[in-house]
Amino acid sequence: MAPKRSGPSTPTSSSANLKSLSSSSSNSPSTSAGSSLSGSAASNTDATVILNHVWNRYVQNTPQRTKLLDAFLGFLVAVGVVQFAYCVLAGNYPFNAFLSGFSATVGQFVLTTSLRMQTNKENEKEFSSVSDERAFADYVFGSLLLHFFCVNFIN
Amino acid sequence: MQLPVAFLLLCLLGIVQALSTAGNRLLVVIEELADKDKYSTFWSDLESRGYNLDFESPKSEKLTLFQHGERVYDHVLLLPPKSKGLGPSLTPKILMDFINGDGNILLALASDAPTPTAIVSLLLEFDIHLPSDRNALVVDHFNHDTISASDKHDVVLVPAPKALRPGAKNFFAGQSPDTTLAFPRGMGQVLGNESPLLHPILRAPSSAYSYNPKDQSETVEDPFAVGQQLALVSALQARNSARFTVLGSLEMLENKWFDAKVKAPGASGEKTTTGNRDFAKALSAWTFQEIGVLKVGNVEHHLNEGADQGLVELNPKIYRIKSDVTFSIELSEYNYDHWAPFTPPAKDAVQLEFSMLSPFHRLALTPSSSGTSSNSTLYTTSFTVPDQHGIFKFEVNYKRPFFTYIDETREVTVRHYAHDEWPRSFAISGAWTWIAGIWVTVAGWLAFVALWLWSAPVRSSGPADKAKKTQ
Repeated sequence: MAPKRSGPSTPTSSSANLKSLSSSSSNSPSTSAGSSLSGSAASNTDATVILNHVWNRYVQNTPQRTKLLDAFLGFLVAVGVVQFAYCVLAGNYPFNAFLSGFSATVGQFVLTTSLRMQTNKENEKEFSSVSDERAFADYVFGSLLLHFFCVNFIN
Repeated sequence: MQLPVAFLLLCLLGIVQALSTAGNRLLVVIEELADKDKYSTFWSDLESRGYNLDFESPKSEKLTLFQHGERVYDHVLLLPPKSKGLGPSLTPKILMDFINGDGNILLALASDAPTPTAIVSLLLEFDIHLPSDRNALVVDHFNHDTISASDKHDVVLVPAPKALRPGAKNFFAGQSPDTTLAFPRGMGQVLGNESPLLHPILRAPSSAYSYNPKDQSETVEDPFAVGQQLALVSALQARNSARFTVLGSLEMLENKWFDAKVKAPGASGEKTTTGNRDFAKALSAWTFQEIGVLKVGNVEHHLNEGADQGLVELNPKIYRIKSDVTFSIELSEYNYDHWAPFTPPAKDAVQLEFSMLSPFHRLALTPSSSGTSSNSTLYTTSFTVPDQHGIFKFEVNYKRPFFTYIDETREVTVRHYAHDEWPRSFAISGAWTWIAGIWVTVAGWLAFVALWLWSAPVRSSGPADKAKKTQ
């Protein structure tokens, strides 16, 4: 019930929010694109233009909460990469610490991705039975469980 | 109440009298009791060492080694009979049963009468072979006594035995290193290669050979055995540490050979006295378990951790992998009339095995100065339990020629680490990155949740929604 009613309201609000954001953020890519245009080949310019376009579309059309999710996912990827790189460079002793540290990050990533899938408006048909609040509550429960296990396992 | 006290007193009395570790009841089987006096010095030597000698003829009706299934004697000294056999009470089977029942036998041979079949077949059981012609004797044309046997060369002079091999103790060396033993008219034996329980005590000189005096031919063709092949005195220690000794020449024990003067053919004038008396003493003492008897005292094992404060449990049933453990064993050696600290011969060591199916550790045990008393040595070693859980045993398996066997095992369980015995992750600096990884993830998650709740989309129909929820 709730998502259907709140559904239509979110895009408008987020797009209203985003307009101010996009106006400020779209300036900097265009300047960088311009500098690359002068220095390199036309194909490169095309790629930059496409990327620019993708970025702008993302910035304009993505709801605020999805962007927040994406930012958190990016943060998790960074943390995971740091941990894995440390394991490769410094060795895997103690292995259980690596397992729990790395799997905390990976598990959190998986849970967050699930939340993103369930709350994305484009997937509304598939998850019609799961409201955003329900999805978030599941997410919080799952995350707490994951943190508990990881802290326990690292000993 | 009175009976146990009386029994205890009886036991104590027995301990006081018996100087051998195996008891003092000695049966001497001698056919002609009149011949007894020829060996009187030997008998008095035995009696002075605490034995109760019992002389019996093999033909005697009342001669029996067992009564009600128990041994009547602790030791038997078998002198060779001149008649054909040993009689129904000393069959090879009964003698085998006697050895299996921890009895010791000293068997003497002589070449003046044919060896009975019963003895030959008994020796064959032990893989000891006698010459097929029953009258054979050992002669040596280079090492014989020129005084008593200048013609027949059948009194062989043998230097006192050397150690069997490096690292084996020599119980029979005699007083001085150049002791000479007279081996008059004796019968040599050949020992089979199969038995690890069988050892020669005295070997013939390299120029000796076995020879049948009834053989009329000038030269000896195809002799039974020559040189060091011939064992003049040999010993078998059974798996139960009962001892069986074959003495090739009974005459060695006679009074006249105990202090006879002998002279070898090449010797420069000087006559030497034989070392037969000392050798007979050592031989009978070894056979009747007065020397070369080992005893295990206290066996202990415990964890090293907290051992200084005396906090550890002794001989625990269970250990954890990779823990440091100390093992100690007390060993004594009987030396004629008292227990003495045991020291292995040079180039030998008492070893401890810590094994599950196969040994994971085999360590030399070292005598500890603190635990060694006047009658025992404390051998200890410390090691780290292997990184392998299962049922292990501490094992001291010390089996050496002429020593009674030691095979002590103590079974323990080795478990792996319990859940709370691993080091905490923060104690290992290598884990700090991943600890940080977890907490950064958790902190990021909390921040995300807060932002998520804070950034709830603005709802046009907020109050209606609230009303819906309350319904």
